[in-house]
Amino acid sequence: MQIRDKIIESTQEIFSTMVMMDVTASEELPENKSIHCESITGLIGLAGTYKGVLAIHMPNAVALAVTGSFLGMDVEEINADVEDAIGELANMLGGNIKTILSENGKDINLSLPSTISGKEYNFQLASDAAERTVIGFDAESGRFHVELQLEK
Amino acid sequence: MGKNVLLIDDSSTMRKIIGRSLRQAGIEFDNIFEAGDGIEALALLENEKVDIILSDINMPNMDGISFLREKANRPAIKNIPVLMISTETGEDIIGEAKSLGAVGSIKKPFTPDKVNEVLGPLL
Repeated sequence: MQIRDKIIESTQEIFSTMVMMDVTASEELPENKSIHCESITGLIGLAGTYKGVLAIHMPNAVALAVTGSFLGMDVEEINADVEDAIGELANMLGGNIKTILSENGKDINLSLPSTISGKEYNFQLASDAAERTVIGFDAESGRFHVELQLEK
Repeated sequence: MGKNVLLIDDSSTMRKIIGRSLRQAGIEFDNIFEAGDGIEALALLENEKVDIILSDINMPNMDGISFLREKANRPAIKNIPVLMISTETGEDIIGEAKSLGAVGSIKKPFTPDKVNEVLGPLL
């Protein structure tokens, strides 16, 4: 199974079991864009045998719906709860990617999750040598993207 | 007298989700205490009676492995069982946690059924 299929499987498992939300992978090739507007990005770094970053990019409206479903409450603005929830989604996804790539769990280290949000920001390749995989997912509230930049 | 649980995770979202999963699994506690890292947990354990601990591994300030090591050196709390709930699944890391006293592990993401399956026999 290719890494793209693993990302799709992991993302759908996390959303169905923890967020209580079904998401489907988009067949469309995502635009090759690094600028995100009115969005929030949760990210986690990988270091060791593989180096890179796993990111989940969500427009604010999608992030609010996802956080609301995750926490079982209404969320009306991008706040600490949303940042924590989107960061934790990146953390779980990063953990699954680590399990796929790692041989024994100690050859790859994960960073703590962090988030970026704002009216407009640029999320660039960590390195020219990094291989980039971007997959779009559709939820009822809209589309979001999962991005893996990986360098062996 | 009922039982008390301590949830250790740097994510407030995850602490809420674990608490919700416990309720959905039909596991009732008198008190659910929360800590954001190992240091907060050790401070809380000085004042509260806790019957079981559910802990993340990757956390700032004091991670789950360091917490287990520190807890093992404190006679008053060293026998409280700890169940790891983490994205970490590597045999080396889980093995290290178990060698330091962890009684089991649950991988994130998890379902209430999985929580019940692993935690139920420990109560």
